[in-house]
Amino acid sequence: MSSTTASSGMGGINKLLVTVGKSVGGVVGALYQSGRDAVDTVIRNILPFMAFISVLIGIILKTGFGNWLAHLITPLAGNLIGLLAISIFCAIPVLSPVLGPGAVIAQVVGTLLGLNFAKGDIAPQYALPALFAINPQVGCDFIPVGLALGEAEPETVEVGVPAVLISRLITGPLSVVIAWVASFGLYSSN
Amino acid sequence: MPFTHLVAGIVFAAGDTVDKPTGFFGALATGAEWFIGLFNEGGGVFKSLVIGIVPTLIVLLTAVNALIRMIGPEKSDKLGEMAARPGIQWYPVRYLVLPVLSVFFLTNPMAYTMGRFLPERYKPAFYDSAVSYVHPITGIFPHANPGELFVYYGIAHGIQKLGLGLGDLAVRYLLVGMVVILLRGVITELITARMLAKRSTQEEAAA
Repeated sequence: MSSTTASSGMGGINKLLVTVGKSVGGVVGALYQSGRDAVDTVIRNILPFMAFISVLIGIILKTGFGNWLAHLITPLAGNLIGLLAISIFCAIPVLSPVLGPGAVIAQVVGTLLGLNFAKGDIAPQYALPALFAINPQVGCDFIPVGLALGEAEPETVEVGVPAVLISRLITGPLSVVIAWVASFGLYSSN
Repeated sequence: MPFTHLVAGIVFAAGDTVDKPTGFFGALATGAEWFIGLFNEGGGVFKSLVIGIVPTLIVLLTAVNALIRMIGPEKSDKLGEMAARPGIQWYPVRYLVLPVLSVFFLTNPMAYTMGRFLPERYKPAFYDSAVSYVHPITGIFPHANPGELFVYYGIAHGIQKLGLGLGDLAVRYLLVGMVVILLRGVITELITARMLAKRSTQEEAAA
């Protein structure tokens, strides 16, 4: 009688230990695998892009091309009208799929603008609308693939591509205006 | 002729100041310095990017990836079915909640697979909405689109160099992104509906 209760007690403890061990192992395993994924992502995607950006910025800064570019960009990126012009340009339905791939253009322009922000050529509160102004073409190169991933019919793709491209002409500048309004009070001195 | 300059250079090297090299070799030396300077400058930029961004990024990516692994992305399937419902109260689910969660859990480009739960007429709008969120989310959750971080990081790096904090900018980018994708979804859905209607009348006319 007493031996059976003892063994069932032992069984309970065993079960508890197994459960705890399993769940801890699961958490540690998930963390470890995630760490591996994270390092992998950094090496495969992030460091190569940083190297590319660094070469570009190094040359731009050292040759003085940056100053010339700043004279070109600052009057555009430092006010709402200029930012709207950039966004409309990027959203033109013929251009947007060309400017889209890998967001490379948006990333390079973003980095160049960053240089101008760092030098104080553009007021920092324009960072938010600028983020939207340089990016109305996001994903415009990828519409057929993106729709195919969503298991869309070919007819939907036929209508969907022009629908998204035309929509960007409206929503691109609109996003800049929204971001501009939302940027009130951002990095203002008072 | 250049050699005398070189000799002179060696002789006077012990002095306090060295004249700048002149002549053909001088020009070559200046050119070489300028050339290597381009890459020194680039190396400095690379160093500041790696030191400033990579350590935090790796830790953050690890934590969020582990979280997603433990929750399991298949939970979002139920939400997809909810988002397919017609009616104005489901617009925010379809073009705000669903795209944001898809991009967060499935990341770019697998987020677009959530479109499979929606009727054909909503698919382009959902894609438009989801793809427009893959950059605003990177300010706080870079795991969602690690290949395209520099849209935000490029500008943020400049702001950081001014000595200003990035939290405010990242949060506003995230929130304004939400407003923009909702609007984008609704507007693209309207345009898609228009184009589908036009197409069906054309087909009727042709038939």
